[in-house]
Amino acid sequence: MKFTWYWLLDHLQTDKNLNDIVETLPKLGLEVSSVINLAEKLKEFISVKVLEIKKHPNADKLNICKVFDGKNTFSVVCGANNVKTGMIGVFAKVETYVPGINLILKKTKIRGETSEGMLCSEKELTLSDNHEGIIELPKNSKIGLSIIDIMDLTDPIIEIEITPNRGDCLGVRGIARDLAAAGMGVLKDLEVIEIEGDFESIIDWKIDLNEDKKNLCPKIFGRSFKNLLNVDSPSWLKKRLLAVDQRPISSLVDITNYIMIDIGRPLHAYDAEKIVGNTLTIKESKQGEKFFALNGNEYELDQGMLVISDDYGIDDLAGIMGGERTGVTENTTKMFLEAAIFDPISIANTGRKLNINSDARYRFERGLDYDSPDLVMHYAASMVSKICGGTYSRIVKFELMKETRPIIFNPNNTYKLTGVEIENKQARSILEKLGFLITNKKDFWSIIPPAWRSDIDGVSDIVEEIIRVNGYDCIPSIKLPRKNYIAKPAMNIKHRQISIASKILANRGYNEVITFSFLNEVMSKQFNGCIKELVLVNPISSELTHMRPSVIPTLLIAAQRNLNNGIDTLSFFEAGPIFKGDKPDDQINTISGLRLGSKVKRDWKNSSENFDFYDVKLDVLKTLEAIGVNINSLQTYENTPSYFHPGRSAVLKIGQKLIANIGEIHPSITDFYGFEKSIVAFEIFYENIPIPKKFKISKPMLKTSPLQSLTREFAFVLDEITNAEKLVQIAKSINKDLIKDVLIFDVYRGENIPDGKKSIAIKVIIQPNLETLTDDDLEKISSDLINVIETKLSGYLRSK
Amino acid sequence: MISELKAKLLNLSDVISDLISEAKNINEIEEIRVNSLGKKGSITSYLKNLKEYDEVSKREIGSLVNAIKNKINKLIIDKKSYFKTEILNKKLLTEKIDVTLTPHENETGTLHPLSRTIDELCAIFADMGFSIVDGPDIETDYYNFTALNIPYEHPARQEHDTFYLQPDEYGKRKVLRTHTSPVQIRTMEKINLENFEEIRYIIPGRTYRSDHDATHSPMFHQCEGLVLGKNINMGHLKGCLIDFCRTYFSKEDLPVRFRPSYFPFTEPSAEVDIGCKKDKDGSLSIGSGEDWLEILGSGMVHPRVLEGVGIDPSIYQGFAFGMGLERLTMLKYGIPDLRPFYDSDLRWLKHYGFIPVDNPSLHFGLNGVFS
Repeated sequence: MKFTWYWLLDHLQTDKNLNDIVETLPKLGLEVSSVINLAEKLKEFISVKVLEIKKHPNADKLNICKVFDGKNTFSVVCGANNVKTGMIGVFAKVETYVPGINLILKKTKIRGETSEGMLCSEKELTLSDNHEGIIELPKNSKIGLSIIDIMDLTDPIIEIEITPNRGDCLGVRGIARDLAAAGMGVLKDLEVIEIEGDFESIIDWKIDLNEDKKNLCPKIFGRSFKNLLNVDSPSWLKKRLLAVDQRPISSLVDITNYIMIDIGRPLHAYDAEKIVGNTLTIKESKQGEKFFALNGNEYELDQGMLVISDDYGIDDLAGIMGGERTGVTENTTKMFLEAAIFDPISIANTGRKLNINSDARYRFERGLDYDSPDLVMHYAASMVSKICGGTYSRIVKFELMKETRPIIFNPNNTYKLTGVEIENKQARSILEKLGFLITNKKDFWSIIPPAWRSDIDGVSDIVEEIIRVNGYDCIPSIKLPRKNYIAKPAMNIKHRQISIASKILANRGYNEVITFSFLNEVMSKQFNGCIKELVLVNPISSELTHMRPSVIPTLLIAAQRNLNNGIDTLSFFEAGPIFKGDKPDDQINTISGLRLGSKVKRDWKNSSENFDFYDVKLDVLKTLEAIGVNINSLQTYENTPSYFHPGRSAVLKIGQKLIANIGEIHPSITDFYGFEKSIVAFEIFYENIPIPKKFKISKPMLKTSPLQSLTREFAFVLDEITNAEKLVQIAKSINKDLIKDVLIFDVYRGENIPDGKKSIAIKVIIQPNLETLTDDDLEKISSDLINVIETKLSGYLRSK
Repeated sequence: MISELKAKLLNLSDVISDLISEAKNINEIEEIRVNSLGKKGSITSYLKNLKEYDEVSKREIGSLVNAIKNKINKLIIDKKSYFKTEILNKKLLTEKIDVTLTPHENETGTLHPLSRTIDELCAIFADMGFSIVDGPDIETDYYNFTALNIPYEHPARQEHDTFYLQPDEYGKRKVLRTHTSPVQIRTMEKINLENFEEIRYIIPGRTYRSDHDATHSPMFHQCEGLVLGKNINMGHLKGCLIDFCRTYFSKEDLPVRFRPSYFPFTEPSAEVDIGCKKDKDGSLSIGSGEDWLEILGSGMVHPRVLEGVGIDPSIYQGFAFGMGLERLTMLKYGIPDLRPFYDSDLRWLKHYGFIPVDNPSLHFGLNGVFS
């Protein structure tokens, strides 16, 4: 919402200056986004007369002008093609700051010719974007004077942000009212002379709405004008409209726009002679009806949109935009003026469906002053007759009685809700200055909000009005009392798991990234997504259309982007959600990561070595161990999702619960994204990790044996398909009391090993518990092991 | 005869001593040891022959032999250890490495600046008794809007630039949450009013709006806060958020301003600004100067929101707040642009990221050090 300083002073009697007002507005909730004070910004620019023009000797397109400010003559190099002898222009002397080019002028030589200043365009003064030629001031302008007065730039422009609840401040008067309530002056009375009118209106209203839809148009007023002269608007009016970004069109249109900004009240002007018949009907549209709006577009309407129609058809979309057929033009001499109250919800729905934004819709949606149609009929009539002459009719109207239900307010509520201590007298005064009517002032106040504040409907709204105008600085600052007598963690177990896992992974060399939760359709398919409910209806780009079924693809995009920067070794992880459906439980939080490139870089000591499956498996096991997984309880399976390499990937589970996927990304996918090396990725489904109901804070007792542990080594020849893990599990199961660990120290294929077989060498670590083991004990363990491997895995001891 | 023997012994001792001092290596010493102190050694042999003497002589010679034996033994040990040291020193010389060579790199990774900020926020609010909760990214219209007092036709909805998902079989379309506020509703729904005293929650998380330019990302992060109880008023809101701003920016005298504003789900509502100085070159310094910078929105939970979840607003009241985490991170750590937060450029991550063991807490300190 833009307005000018003098426009505000039309409504506010005040001795405050612009700065006072600009500082107060945000305190009232009216955030100031800009103040343009041209009088301050352009005060050094003066009017000069161009005395003489001659061609620049060294540049075809430049001229050297002699300009005169009444005392001195200056030589100026000028490139504008509209410069001519005798014209009066706008001149900036050396040392003047020129805002449009953000430069302080210096005396310079341009192609060898001295220039002692600048003749300015509108753009250089920030008056417009117009850079076509320099400004030409009226011929009779005095020279050597500040252009502020000549160009009438004295009125500062203020722009404020209006929150959706403050429709009343979409008019200058509403802003003035708030300022007056805050002690910044006195709200002037609006000059309205009520004149009944000379004749009966040529047009009348007809309400064609069912009883239950009457509230769509609770109030509509109209009045006819005749013998008008739709002249150009007077310059003061044009200037004000231009200052607030309204394009002057013709005085009738300009007047409706002016009143909309002035008191926040949209109006619609029909050319009365173009209305077919003498009735305007307010009704709901039928499916498929057409409407030609004055923005030049044709709209097909839905069932039930609020429209106004004459005998010919629809020519006004109520509260949003008028029609082309009945609009006023410069030839209009008879006008019918409409001011209505429409249901904001209906307006909002229609506007959104048809995607029409207009100043009228903006205001109707936010709620209008319910009393404004009555008032504006007179306010507009006197303005129209002043500017366009003519006469006006009596008012035709339709209105429903409005129920006003007072809000019962306990003045203690202010303290209870906000901690602000304010005297009742002061609180009442604030409300009354804002236009609230307080009918009962005893223990409980009975308050009727003003007609322009449709947003006020409860006790907390009243409290807000009081403390807002009283000033938020008066709200006390109170420490939250300590809630717990002992410190309690802010994080739950899941949060702690993420935090621990992140630190472990970063310590192991991963960089944490955050990638978008959405990706493109191709990737979604590659990673088994593409559920209909997870497709965005209105994506911002075709690359971001599907909610991701896995974090790995967005990590791949991240890796690819780095590859394009020449970075071919990286490790990334992300703790983030994936989506299997659109219900809250379908959102699964994972910790996912990938490694690409060299694990060991070639240097003076090592030859280069790439990351492989086992590096990432170790990362995952170390991470899982740190977030509550007993590594021994993990089972390994090979049925990984299809985006992994079928032979180089594994699924880790505890019971039926999926804990992690690890593996090389399927080569067809890495190829697709242009990676030459393999990528190893993982996804940890930490939410599936079984968590004990109660944690024991104390640790179990450490038991160390005084007896030394022993090791025995074996090499078994096994079928190629036998997993190492199976061998280890079986070896451990021989004697759970004594065998502490089984480690694999060699895997061998080749000479002396039959085809389809492999040799796995293990080291069995035996820890005696109570007494030293005898040779017989050890012999028994050995023979048991060999027997079990033979019976369960058809393996045999490799001969030396 | 005894004196003769003694002289022989002393002479032997001198001879062996000389041999030891002249020995050239550890093998010669060992040879000397065997020849003198071994089973058949020259000194040992004297002890074997003692039985030929009377008791008095036996004692006299025995003690002399032992003294010589001890002396020689000590000389041998000393000489041996001398040779060992010499050998070791020689060996060490051959083991010299070039200590100026670069060690093999095993890089530590980094944590993302946003995780860092979330950790810092959690540390600050944990100290004020808050705990962390979260909610789904895909929301129903009800939680994201309606329950927050933003009905379908409300103008505030248009400012949200909502992402919609394809409608389900009932024609209902879900949204990507446009703010973390729907989690307020989800947490309040779970309150059991029978033994309810007070809650204090913060809700950090991903949020989405269909907006993409230099200062907007289609995905971004917010942190919501919710305090609800019987005696919580707007003064607490002010105290809590002033404390937060000053702690987060580590400036005890940071100017904090509360300004009336509007959010459909709070009443009264307040925008919170912090004092700053905007330099002509566009840079910003927090905490000094004439300008104000908006950093969060807040307000008293709207009675209609409370009623909607079955809480009586005449008994319970509270406050809520929400802030953009990218902005907070950029302001604190001097990160100039928003977009690289999601670009995963390794160079950016290494530069603006944090080492994983520098963990923000009140006792350790909230601001990143050494990284």
